[in-house]
Amino acid sequence: MIRNRVVHKQKMLWAFLVCALGVLALIGRLGYLMIGRSEHYSVLAEELHQRERTIKAARGTIYDRNGQVLATNRTVCTVSVIHSQVTEPERVIQVLSQLLSLEEDKVRKAVEKVSSREILKTNVDKAIGDAIRAQGLDGVKVDEDYKRYYPYDTLASKVLGFTGSDNQGIIGLEVVYEEYLKGMDGKILTMTDASGVELDGMAEERVEPVPGNSLVLSLDVNLQQYAEQAAKTVMEEKNARQVSVILMDPRNGEILAMVNVPEFNLNDPFTLNYEPEGSRTAEEEQELLNQMWRNACINDTYEPGSTFKIITMGAALEEGVVSLEDSFYCPGYRLVEDRRIRCHKVAGHGAETFLQGAMNSCNPVFIDVGLRLGVDRYYSYFKQFGLLEKTGVDLPGEAGTIMHQPENMGDVELATVSFGQSFQITPLQLITTAASLVNGGTRVTPHLAVEIRGSSGEITKTFTYETEASIISEETSETLRYILEQVVAEGTGKQAYLEGYSIGGKTATSEKLPRRSGKYISSFLGFAPAEDPQVIGLITIDEPEGVYYGGTVAAPVMADIFANILPYLGIQPQ
Amino acid sequence: MEKTKPAKKKRKNFYDYSLLLVIVVLSCFGLVMIYSTSYYTAQLRLGDGTYYLKRQALILAGSFAFMLFISKIDYHFWVKFTGLAYIGALGMMILVNFTPLGLERNGQKRWLGISESISFQPTEFVKIALILVTACVIVRLSRQVDRLRAALLIFGLAVPPGMLVLMNNLSSGIIIFGIVFVMYFVASKKKMPFVVLAGVAVVLVLLAVPLAELLVKAGFLESYQLDRIHVWQNPEAYAQEGGFQVLQGLYAIGSGGLFGKGLGNSIQKLGFVPEAQNDMIFSIICEELGLFGAACLILLFLFLLHRFLIIASNAPDLLGAMIVTGAMGHIAIQVILNIAVVTNSIPNTGITLPFVSYGGTSLLFLMAEMGLVLGVSNQITLETL
Repeated sequence: MIRNRVVHKQKMLWAFLVCALGVLALIGRLGYLMIGRSEHYSVLAEELHQRERTIKAARGTIYDRNGQVLATNRTVCTVSVIHSQVTEPERVIQVLSQLLSLEEDKVRKAVEKVSSREILKTNVDKAIGDAIRAQGLDGVKVDEDYKRYYPYDTLASKVLGFTGSDNQGIIGLEVVYEEYLKGMDGKILTMTDASGVELDGMAEERVEPVPGNSLVLSLDVNLQQYAEQAAKTVMEEKNARQVSVILMDPRNGEILAMVNVPEFNLNDPFTLNYEPEGSRTAEEEQELLNQMWRNACINDTYEPGSTFKIITMGAALEEGVVSLEDSFYCPGYRLVEDRRIRCHKVAGHGAETFLQGAMNSCNPVFIDVGLRLGVDRYYSYFKQFGLLEKTGVDLPGEAGTIMHQPENMGDVELATVSFGQSFQITPLQLITTAASLVNGGTRVTPHLAVEIRGSSGEITKTFTYETEASIISEETSETLRYILEQVVAEGTGKQAYLEGYSIGGKTATSEKLPRRSGKYISSFLGFAPAEDPQVIGLITIDEPEGVYYGGTVAAPVMADIFANILPYLGIQPQ
Repeated sequence: MEKTKPAKKKRKNFYDYSLLLVIVVLSCFGLVMIYSTSYYTAQLRLGDGTYYLKRQALILAGSFAFMLFISKIDYHFWVKFTGLAYIGALGMMILVNFTPLGLERNGQKRWLGISESISFQPTEFVKIALILVTACVIVRLSRQVDRLRAALLIFGLAVPPGMLVLMNNLSSGIIIFGIVFVMYFVASKKKMPFVVLAGVAVVLVLLAVPLAELLVKAGFLESYQLDRIHVWQNPEAYAQEGGFQVLQGLYAIGSGGLFGKGLGNSIQKLGFVPEAQNDMIFSIICEELGLFGAACLILLFLFLLHRFLIIASNAPDLLGAMIVTGAMGHIAIQVILNIAVVTNSIPNTGITLPFVSYGGTSLLFLMAEMGLVLGVSNQITLETL
């Protein structure tokens, strides 16, 4: 027998001590990991374990100036089945196909498909969703969700815009004020195992959604409805392509109504508002939808024609190159360089004063006045009036002005510009500039948004818009108002005359390009009361059939609108 | 000894009940943790949440009886079988490595048997066989143990089975050579060579990365082994190469904090840490019981080692002392390596945590080994104490 000697015992102790040291070092390492790095790894682990589900935030409401709801949310339901939880498949199939009016085969396929969740139908009415829930079917989930809802369907469709499947704005004000309207989505965080199965009995973390803020517009539902009705009537009467109407407060640029008929249904924005001929590809379909969604008032430009004579008048009067009594002679045309530019009255207006020329909308008179200003001065007024820039309206996709470069402008170009041809602006640009000239000379920014309100109705933001004072003098503005009142009282705009009211205005008949195609845009720009404008309106009728003169076609429509809205606005007949 | 027995009839034999108690506590704790870690995934995949618990409990009961049985046999009885055990170990390893009897699981050929259910890991047997063989050889060589020839013989005997194990199980190979090293260290009277060796080992560890890169270039190491080293150094940057699993263990440990999430409340065991009841079980213990629970478990192991020290120091002869020393080396190396791997203190390699991790073979042979140690303790007479 070999003895176990002291030296061995010592060595054993050493071996044990080394092991003990190793073990203690590991405890130290654990301490570092579990205390020092605990937070780091806990956060990483939590991220790994938690599944995030979003709770949609309610989008903010859009109100008109009087608090009428233009856009709001409706609760809709998403119905889905969870295969593993279905206990009575036949009953589920029968009830769901009946209540959702789906084919039984389709429901059966969804119920029998082995998947974690199969969505059967979205945007189901809340009433139907409640009815399904009341059936108490295992494995059938009814999730509530918000869907944008526009109570007036087509009203101001191209202005308000609509939202997409993620509740995000797609066109119009819904896009521009997205950040205020959308709110903040909430979250439900649930713990899951490695394969993503949610764990029962684990506390859910819930971050409540913050609803979006409300947007208050300067738009007035009543004015919008009047204007839309009038536009629709004239469009049908004249079989026009489309008719646009803008009503604005010239004092501050608030847009009271903006109509583009035909409008489309905001609750069904992906369906064309007419029956197109023939079949089309998905791309063509999208192109047609884009066309339907266009807001002609700001997305499209046109040659304004005679309504633009207001601007020429303003510039010439301000510069003092003409006065009301200056006399002119119209032989029915004017020769500028080698070009013979005709007046709309072939026989000519004969001898007339400037005021009469304006009332007659006589082209030679305005050619003369434009030439008196010369290219440089005319161009600088064009710029001063804000015509070279966009109006800055709070709507997406505003088109810019298409104008000659000053160095390329000869007398012929100047002559045509003077009566509103050979360049293009948007209808909104025209009405904004006209408003700025007749309101005493302050350039305003046209706009729709007035303020943002929080969830309890408190004002959280009031929008302010740039103005530029004195683009013309008050006197010139007053003279302009007088001339334009005379145009309606006794001139080409007399069909816009309204008993008891003083109305200023100007008609226009623009021949569309290419010339001699027989296509016109008839328009009328009017404001009331003439001496202190509180509302200004512009109607453009695209391609009317038959009589196409602005004075005959467009002016009476504006008179009709004014007849309805002036008393409503509190402007009493004298 | 048997001859002296009648003379000292009244002699009272010692039996280390403290060690027995620690073994019972550790293996029962292991059962609880196996149940906790495996219930969810077992329920999900096998439809029976207690699958692993039941199997382990059954094997534990059998192994425990086996251990008690062995502990009552005088350890000198086994000396006769050392040659047979050595040849048996070699034979088994050859069968595993070179014949169809070697079964492959998770891409590694470590199992001997005819089917999944009738098979075991012979490396566990190799460990216990080598402890016996080395102890016997050291006793036989006795005072010549410090001669170079003796050292060569002792380590030379470990090489054939050790290399066979190393072929497809790096960690078990390391453990086997580690056990022999610890036993030789205790048997030897010298100190200096071991200090020098320890110094060399430290340097090697410090130079592990450049060295491994060199070895890969020279073709001695596979690139996946280099990947393990990269993963070890920065698991977050090498998530694709295997760092993901290491990170899962660290997530579990880190989210435990001081007192843990409570028994049964681990999230990481829900499939994030793969086969949490096996090698990585310690990470779930950390997550559920916190630093406090984990440290208690480690201290329990330390207590176990301390019992080994006491038994070895008081063993009636060198043979008993060497057997216990071998067991001590075995448990110490395996515990330290397992925890070091789980805490990403060393590169990842598969090592089970003794008594706690799930696994039938390792439990059976571990219990047999404990039976030997208890058997040594049983031969201690109180007079010699």
